[in-house]
Amino acid sequence: MTLENSEPGTARAPGPAVADTLSADSRGVPPPLREQRYEFLGDEDIPCSRYTSQAFADLETERLWGRCWQWACREEHLQDVGDNYVYNIGPYSVIVVRSAPDKIQAFINSCTHRGTRILGGEGAGYTPQLTCPFHGWSWNVAGELEALPARWDFPHVGAGTHNLQAVKCETWGGFVFINLDPDARPLAQYLDVLPEHFSHFPLERRRVRLHVQKVLPANWKASQEAFMEAYHNFETHNAPNGANTQYDIFGKFVSRFIHNIGNYSVESLQDYPGDKWRNPPLTENELLQMLSVFGLDHEEVPPGETARSVAAEDLRRCIGEALGIDLSEVSDSLMLDSIEYHLFPNMFFFPGITVPMVYRFRPNGDDVDSSLFDFLILEPLPEGAEHPEPPEPIYLDVEQSYTEAEGLEWLGPVYDEDTGNLALQQQGFKTSRKRGITLGNYQESRIRRVHMTLDEFMAENSE
Amino acid sequence: MSDENYCRVASLAELPQGKSMSVEIGEREILLCHTSEGVFAVDNLCTHGAARLCEGKLKGQRILCPLHGAAFDVRDGAALSRPAVRPLASHRVSVEGDDISVLLVDE
Repeated sequence: MTLENSEPGTARAPGPAVADTLSADSRGVPPPLREQRYEFLGDEDIPCSRYTSQAFADLETERLWGRCWQWACREEHLQDVGDNYVYNIGPYSVIVVRSAPDKIQAFINSCTHRGTRILGGEGAGYTPQLTCPFHGWSWNVAGELEALPARWDFPHVGAGTHNLQAVKCETWGGFVFINLDPDARPLAQYLDVLPEHFSHFPLERRRVRLHVQKVLPANWKASQEAFMEAYHNFETHNAPNGANTQYDIFGKFVSRFIHNIGNYSVESLQDYPGDKWRNPPLTENELLQMLSVFGLDHEEVPPGETARSVAAEDLRRCIGEALGIDLSEVSDSLMLDSIEYHLFPNMFFFPGITVPMVYRFRPNGDDVDSSLFDFLILEPLPEGAEHPEPPEPIYLDVEQSYTEAEGLEWLGPVYDEDTGNLALQQQGFKTSRKRGITLGNYQESRIRRVHMTLDEFMAENSE
Repeated sequence: MSDENYCRVASLAELPQGKSMSVEIGEREILLCHTSEGVFAVDNLCTHGAARLCEGKLKGQRILCPLHGAAFDVRDGAALSRPAVRPLASHRVSVEGDDISVLLVDE
């Protein structure tokens, strides 16, 4: 089993690479998808204790969640002055509010009198002013204290001393980001290539069509890492086309994979068990059949075409008509592929049309062994159309199936497969004698990048 | 209206989907809410602070109190979030043509 290892990170699966598939695209491919950026980041094991230790999780609360940029909600949650959104992360709670037609602000969700959370729960709400339910102290939506019952008893409360505590708040791509660190660097310095790349796929011109939030039975990092590589496709999804996926590391905070859909290479499976999909290989018609869940017009691939070209063309018409958008010049790649950008520490953005998701993974309160997974479908909006009010989230508990979420359709069983290994993995961390997980140099490099950046945050004087 | 206890309170034209409005039946204030699932009627006064819910906001199937942001499910009046813990009284609604009529359940 031993391989020569003088140039670690340079090996790739045999067969055509993503760049080859993009070169054969029937349309122009947006330049960011042509970029390739990978560097070998090391091959040391990652300690299992990072996923299981309460002490590590407590330190993450203080040094990671208390200091990193994270999206709290979409701008479309805050359409009118007074619309608010409560976002909770570990023990922290933040109120994001539209305080003026062109201004969004964020505040610590805690009364400046005796500390009570002003708004309970999480999610979208509305109040023309913010009033503490305990003694009735009240602030305007700009966070200024306006009403203080029995004012005579508080001569020590001065002008401006008891306003709500401001939290840094910026927007990008239609998302509202917050950062609990008053000294945080601007969001723009944190987004790496995202603004440039997503100028080709503007997420602010998308609407939330579906939001599913589920409890997952693993640490937040293990949960998100189940979505950072396509190496698991063969075993977890019984799918032939993960091995040729392209992985890019754009910097400390941003990474990406591009996973082609609708094709695969027989050679890439040469050392996978059995003859499946190798002998005999899949025909183009069989590949098209695998894509039928998208709702295609064609059942067979016409002579001279490929499953990929036929599926992309059917989806241009079908999705274009459904959304009222002209997709005729959109590349096969954007139409079909699973293109996944990750923003440290816990956010995923997909620029694709058929695969248009956003993910967010968080600790589930202070439980080191479970996490919250927010899954959104972001649908492109026709030109000039206004954002409708986002749908309420569908909540799934840890033992529920994604097939119970109305609107997920064919994705339900896929996400059950993606999350089906997590309880076993979280349990396995604790019984392993090996003390660490081992990562592939290329296919799992994005996971290592996250841990390296996490280490920088965990160092006491980072940033 | 076949049942004389139903009281016509508004026209559907006044209450597009996504909107709420208060009406009076006798001296009682009732909140009508037109959601994606139909027209619903609940008491207009929040069970926590007695604020008028018609001055709050309808989001999906929830009405949000303007004072503390408490949420109630307009379909059955259930209190969904603090500081409200007691449900709103929920009333029967009949929509025939353009007429919205309400039958108070507890009178």
